[in-house]
Amino acid sequence: MALSMIYSPLLLLLVSCSRRVVSKTTGPTPAPLVPTSTLPTYVKSVVLKGESHTERLELLNPVNLTLECTWAGNQNKEPNITGWWLKDGNDVPNSRVPVELQNEQYNLRGVFSVNNDTTLGNYSCVFANEARIDFLLEAPQIGDVREKPIVSYIGDSTVITCKMDDTKPMPITWNWFRDNGTEKEQIIAESSRFEIKNDERKTRLVVHDLTEEDSGLYYCGAVFAISTPMSHVKLKVITIMEPLKPFLAILVEVVVLVAAILLYEKTQSKKKATAENVPSADQNNTVTQEEPNGPEGSPSTRQRKV
Amino acid sequence: MSPAAASNLDYTPPDGGWGWAVVFASFISIGFSYAFPKSLTIFFKEIQEYFSVSYSDIAWISSVMLASMYAGGPISSILVNRYGSRPVVMAGGLMVCAGMVLASFGTSIIHLYLCVGVIGGVGLAFNLQPALTIISTYFQAKRPLANGLAMTGSPVLLSTLAPLNQFLFDSFGWRGSFLILGSIVLNCCVAGALMRPVNKLVKPKPDIELSKRNGEEVEGIGKQPDAHLSVDKENSCQRCLYRFIDFSLFKHRGFLIYLVGNVAMFFGFFAPVVFLAPYAKDLGIDEYSAAFLLSIFALVDMFIRPATGLIGNTKWVRPRIQYFFSFAVLYNGVCHLLCPLATGYTGLVVYSVFFGSAFGMLSALLFEVLMDLVGAPRFSTAVGLVTIIECGPVLLGPPLSGALVDIFGDYKYMYYACGVMMLVPGIYFFIMHYYNYKKLEEEHRKSADVEKRTSDEAVTLNANQDDQPVNE
Repeated sequence: MALSMIYSPLLLLLVSCSRRVVSKTTGPTPAPLVPTSTLPTYVKSVVLKGESHTERLELLNPVNLTLECTWAGNQNKEPNITGWWLKDGNDVPNSRVPVELQNEQYNLRGVFSVNNDTTLGNYSCVFANEARIDFLLEAPQIGDVREKPIVSYIGDSTVITCKMDDTKPMPITWNWFRDNGTEKEQIIAESSRFEIKNDERKTRLVVHDLTEEDSGLYYCGAVFAISTPMSHVKLKVITIMEPLKPFLAILVEVVVLVAAILLYEKTQSKKKATAENVPSADQNNTVTQEEPNGPEGSPSTRQRKV
Repeated sequence: MSPAAASNLDYTPPDGGWGWAVVFASFISIGFSYAFPKSLTIFFKEIQEYFSVSYSDIAWISSVMLASMYAGGPISSILVNRYGSRPVVMAGGLMVCAGMVLASFGTSIIHLYLCVGVIGGVGLAFNLQPALTIISTYFQAKRPLANGLAMTGSPVLLSTLAPLNQFLFDSFGWRGSFLILGSIVLNCCVAGALMRPVNKLVKPKPDIELSKRNGEEVEGIGKQPDAHLSVDKENSCQRCLYRFIDFSLFKHRGFLIYLVGNVAMFFGFFAPVVFLAPYAKDLGIDEYSAAFLLSIFALVDMFIRPATGLIGNTKWVRPRIQYFFSFAVLYNGVCHLLCPLATGYTGLVVYSVFFGSAFGMLSALLFEVLMDLVGAPRFSTAVGLVTIIECGPVLLGPPLSGALVDIFGDYKYMYYACGVMMLVPGIYFFIMHYYNYKKLEEEHRKSADVEKRTSDEAVTLNANQDDQPVNE
């Protein structure tokens, strides 16, 4: 990371709400360490209204980024103040410079070489501890994060997916990682149990023959030239015994209820029979067995009455 | 052959007592039949990922299940006519359970079509028909109320199953959930156990007023002596036919009115429910608020159904309940036609409330009016025929409406179409039932005259006979 106050011939872009980055190179540059002179350049200017402001920048490829801050000052309007840069809250060495009041404004400019994960982050320009603009530099984030775990079974296979939003740029490719206790280990597709299917915006990891050890966090990484932002999905592998327990419990409840209802009915009809003191056993049987609704039924009941 | 047989039953339905337990049992059965297919949609996204198929392939599961449920109607009717409600419902419960358990071990999407779709669907058909039929055997005077209460099972169980399914899915994945749902649906067997066949030994109460109040068709009186004679004539062919499917229903005026109107109406019945949330999202409302609209709809539906039953039971409405049904259909149509006027979230909330009440009113009366038209003995067969014929519009309705939305790119045309599809049958019902009631009154008067004449003749005959021995 090098800071230099180089006045290079650059185009000043107006402040816009768009987060799209105009990249001057077309192809990906995968190598992380590239000489500063060959990196494309980009300028972002922000005029501060108020005390602080946050600007988000989405970067796909390594760039030479020039950040310009303009502040209108406070009531004092001192002719000279100190301005400096922070990266992730820490002072950027050699960044403290005197800032002159020009045309009722203070201007501070910093040039940064942003080419990998460590160089991405939160860059802030500070005016004499009074005003501050934060520039959040990041690669496109994966939006759709699934909070609840995917539940699957031993011996079964499962599919874990990651999707990049349609509004975001497409990654170069996708990688999958598995937590190995201390670090993330990349999953290689060639091994028999894992299958990776990449589809531009969508990636699917298929895991076959699951075991309990396969439970845990799986990370999908969208590969861009500048960095690989990640999202995680939790996988939980359980045995068939887990759902079987509530299944059997409800089964028992159903059997008990059905038996209770039918028994109650039997005792009720027996009570009726003994109370009436009529050989009504046959009638009860015919009532409980058949319920003829058609005309076939009516003649028989008529016959009984007759 | 007394006019009391005009109630079409040669016994007095209890209208209470164990009947309320039967209403509860029907509540459960009907609830599962309607709510179960809808609640399964929560699992579709995951199953779609698992089997790597398109969404329309997955949506077929619902369609197959619904189609099987409606197509299984006649089989269900035959079995109920033969064996009564209880065994059929218990068999149905076991079938759905078996289907779900088998599906939880499924290895392909075809496997799911067969287990969940076909076996599950037919099992649910074995729940729906008998549940409706047994209410008609237990209730006469309080039947609209009983029907309204039983039909409330659908929204109540849907409101219960939807969050339950979500919870099961988060805890056990789709396979475990199917397994547990299989056991939950086994509670239909408990409902079946409650469906004790009604005691038919109670003597009928001679009550001409009762039959007049119910406005029931008098053709039944004519039918009873025919049935009696046919047995004597040993017309085995006719008996065979009556045992299975009563095709003579197609000559029944009331049944035909109901059938034609319903087939037209069902094209526009379910689509607005299906498209409520997507329409809301299309208007820019966020997903949770759109889902909340459906909850409002279900809540209003839940309370309107028993209320409709109560209203249908009052002495002002009961004799002319067909008009009440026609009004409900019209109300639905008007609701949909006015929907495009609703702008913003508040407008849609108001629409959901009105639509919920319209939908509930219609659902509560849907089978009550059929019972009213054909009478309890033939209801089982009638409902079987009605469901299999309604299968077409029920399945075609939502996709056709979806096509309308796609063609015009705007939901309002679909709502206009659905509104018209309900308004026209509503008006049709009003006119046809006015005609039908007039005809029924005519027939009733004619048969009452015939009765009076025969009883007068009998009196004079007896008087002559009494005179003769005195003379001798």
